[in-house]
Amino acid sequence: MTQEKILVIDDEKATLKMFRLFLDVYGFDILTAESGEEGLDVFERERPDIVLTDIKMPGMDGIEVLQEIKRRSPATEVIVITGHGDMDLAIQALNLDAADFINKPIQRQSLEQGLSRARERLKLAKSRQNEVRTRPHGRALVVEIQGSVSSHSEPYLREAYAKAKEAGSGRMVLHFDPNTSVNGAGIAILTQLVLESEKDGMEIVMAGLSENFRKVFGIVGLSRMVQIFDTLDQACA
Amino acid sequence: MKPYARISLKNKIFVSILAVILIISVTIALLARWILISGLTKELEQRGVAVAHSIAERGGGLVLDKNYPELLNLIFDEARLRERQHLINYIFVLDRGGQVLSHTFTVPFPEPLSTANPIAEGSVHSVRLVAVGSLTSYDIAVPMNEGLYRIGTVHVGLSKEHIDKLVAKLRFMFLGFISAVIIIIFYVSHRISRYITSPISRLTNISDELSRGNFDVHLDLGEGLDWAVTNCPAYKDTNMPCWHFDEQGRKSRKAEGKTGQVCATCLFYRKREGDEVIQLADSFMSMVWSIRLYRKRLQESEMKYRSLFDSGPDPIFVVDCDTELILDANPRTEELYEYAKDELLGLSFTRLGHEQVKECLSYLEDGRSNTGCVYYPKVLHYKKGERPFYVNMHACPISYGGKRAMIVAVTDITEMMEKDAQLVQAAKMKTLGEMSAGIAHEINQPLNAIKMGSEYLNLLIEQNREVSVSQIRDMATEISQQVDRATDIINNLRAFGKKSGLVMERVDMNEPIRGVLSIIGRQFSIQRITIRLELGDDLPVIKGHNNRLQQVFFNLLNNARDAIQEKMESEPGMWGDILVRTYARDGRVYASFSDNGPGIEDSVRNKIFEPFFTTKQTGKGMGLGLAITYGIVRDYGGTITIDSRPGEGTTFVLSFPCAEGLQTPEPKAGRPQPLPAQTSRIPE
Repeated sequence: MTQEKILVIDDEKATLKMFRLFLDVYGFDILTAESGEEGLDVFERERPDIVLTDIKMPGMDGIEVLQEIKRRSPATEVIVITGHGDMDLAIQALNLDAADFINKPIQRQSLEQGLSRARERLKLAKSRQNEVRTRPHGRALVVEIQGSVSSHSEPYLREAYAKAKEAGSGRMVLHFDPNTSVNGAGIAILTQLVLESEKDGMEIVMAGLSENFRKVFGIVGLSRMVQIFDTLDQACA
Repeated sequence: MKPYARISLKNKIFVSILAVILIISVTIALLARWILISGLTKELEQRGVAVAHSIAERGGGLVLDKNYPELLNLIFDEARLRERQHLINYIFVLDRGGQVLSHTFTVPFPEPLSTANPIAEGSVHSVRLVAVGSLTSYDIAVPMNEGLYRIGTVHVGLSKEHIDKLVAKLRFMFLGFISAVIIIIFYVSHRISRYITSPISRLTNISDELSRGNFDVHLDLGEGLDWAVTNCPAYKDTNMPCWHFDEQGRKSRKAEGKTGQVCATCLFYRKREGDEVIQLADSFMSMVWSIRLYRKRLQESEMKYRSLFDSGPDPIFVVDCDTELILDANPRTEELYEYAKDELLGLSFTRLGHEQVKECLSYLEDGRSNTGCVYYPKVLHYKKGERPFYVNMHACPISYGGKRAMIVAVTDITEMMEKDAQLVQAAKMKTLGEMSAGIAHEINQPLNAIKMGSEYLNLLIEQNREVSVSQIRDMATEISQQVDRATDIINNLRAFGKKSGLVMERVDMNEPIRGVLSIIGRQFSIQRITIRLELGDDLPVIKGHNNRLQQVFFNLLNNARDAIQEKMESEPGMWGDILVRTYARDGRVYASFSDNGPGIEDSVRNKIFEPFFTTKQTGKGMGLGLAITYGIVRDYGGTITIDSRPGEGTTFVLSFPCAEGLQTPEPKAGRPQPLPAQTSRIPE
């Protein structure tokens, strides 16, 4: 199998060096660039499948790189690297359809998660399966969510919600696939549904959320409105 | 003449009058005695001669008749006639041959007597002093003639005793009279001389009293002073000029056309009718009152300044310039320096302020300052027990009790400096806060690399992969370098956050600039601002504090950044550019910060160093950054100039004087130099 090409853009030479070592272990074909501009040049030349970019860089920053890459090639998965605690930038990047964000200092686990999510999304993009599926599970209705939750997901989510209401089940479990990503529009829809469910006397819980999304939901306040469980079984119990 | 000069004037007059009168009296007495005594003797002699002639006339016939009893009768009658009996001792008559014809002796005729007084041939009579027994007589011999013939001689003996008695009586009367005259003159002249000299002695007494400093002596010189001197307007109003000033004032005011506070007619300075002594007394009195007046003014002035000295809120010393001893000190000095007053007096001033005193003295001696006074800000002084504190010190030369001295006024600025330090520290903390984002980013970089390195090693171990020695060495070196990098940043931060000591250190200007850039340099580049450095090599060192200078430079860079970002809002895509240059010129070290921001309006330029002035949006800036920057720069003897063209950018140029005596910087250390041991601190 041909190795996936990955481009890492970071102004820190030391960080680039570490990425090379890591990504070699994970079996990627590694390209590096020390600035946003250089990164775009490399991207143009090599067309990598995945791009890792630091947000804070002199000159062209990571957000601009993300925008530019998404403009040139929407299918390319971009993972942004943020400084510790730069949640605003993380959310901004997610809104621009970044696959994930990784906090510096980079933990191997989050890096692996990010990379696997990107790979999954790449596969998903090829198959283009339905991203939202529903299935009853006891009294609750489980909504399986894959891919990315964005404005495209709204009708599917609405449909699932209507189904749950119709079935009269008191609980709707939103089960996120590990590779799911959420953007700003997606969060807005989720929030909307949660607010409506309170009026309709229905309970929405979430499960399978990755660490990063828990954080994001925490920031936007969604986690205060819904219960979040680690696994589907806990959520259905 | 010397003894004469020693005699008092009174005695001079007295003795002079007396001497003159005595001389005249003695002359008169001698003259009178001579005239009277000789006249008296002559007269008595004449009487004797007349008696003798009378006997010779009447006795001639009796001698010729040889009627001797009758002759005896005649001479007895003549001798015993009334008062003559006291005058005439004897009478006898001799014949031509010198035989005694008759005599009045009741004893036998003393023979020698007949020849004792012969009459020369041709003379009318002869007088000679003869002694008969115990008696001495003037023997008067007169020839007894009958026609042309001489028939005998009549001798009359006048009692010398009687004559002497008369003369003595006369002499006694004269002497008595003259004595009486002298006594009267003595008394009168004494009174006169005393009268003449008494005002002078009073003046002398008064002036003696004045010399002793008793100005309250009663001036009883003239009579008829019907007003008190306290009525004089100048006496009550010390602002009013007194006589001679009054006169001058009148003239000058007339010239200026002003009416000042002058008396229409001077009450005080007027002359009484009288002799020279009275004139002298008047003028003396005026002088005394003038002196009193000025003394009173002097006392008032003295009291005024004394009270200023005593009640002044700041310590004031009077210090002898030659011995450096404290001659006087006001009560505040006791409070501040914690010495008792008697300890302070006579204490060397160098005990209170070690270094500046000599410098100050030489400065005053040179007369280098225009006003004669020198000012030393932020000088270290010592309380009792060598506890240091900070003061501002003024010193002015004066003359104190005939000695060269200086007035030293100090202001305790410890509290102010404390507040200052607190403010600077607070501003620094704020600065640190502002820097925190940059710092976090900066520290995150090495941490990230280290984390990734360690995670990589873990990964390799988990996957049981072969790790080559060179890989491990690579990784270890990389991790170590990254740790060093983080340590540097932390050290920089620690130095920056540390409270500066009061003692200034030698600083190479490039160091704080590099220090600041190591913290915020990347932050700026991320914000699309390039900082270009043109740092001069081998800059002379300046005196200051590394971390305060960092604060200054951070403030300037931060302001430049804010200005540039303001401009970026209207011109997206522009790149900020800050040029930092350091160079030395004419004994000063310069640092210039040029940005390509929007520049500073002329109207604002003069205000930007004022505290609480800010052009930033409300809540963004306190307006203290540049004020504190300015304060710090000024403390190091530096200046700030601004060159700005609106729309094109701003250049701040800082200049500092080189540290004295060292023109080349010390060998540069790779790491920030640790702060020197702090010898003193403001009490916290």
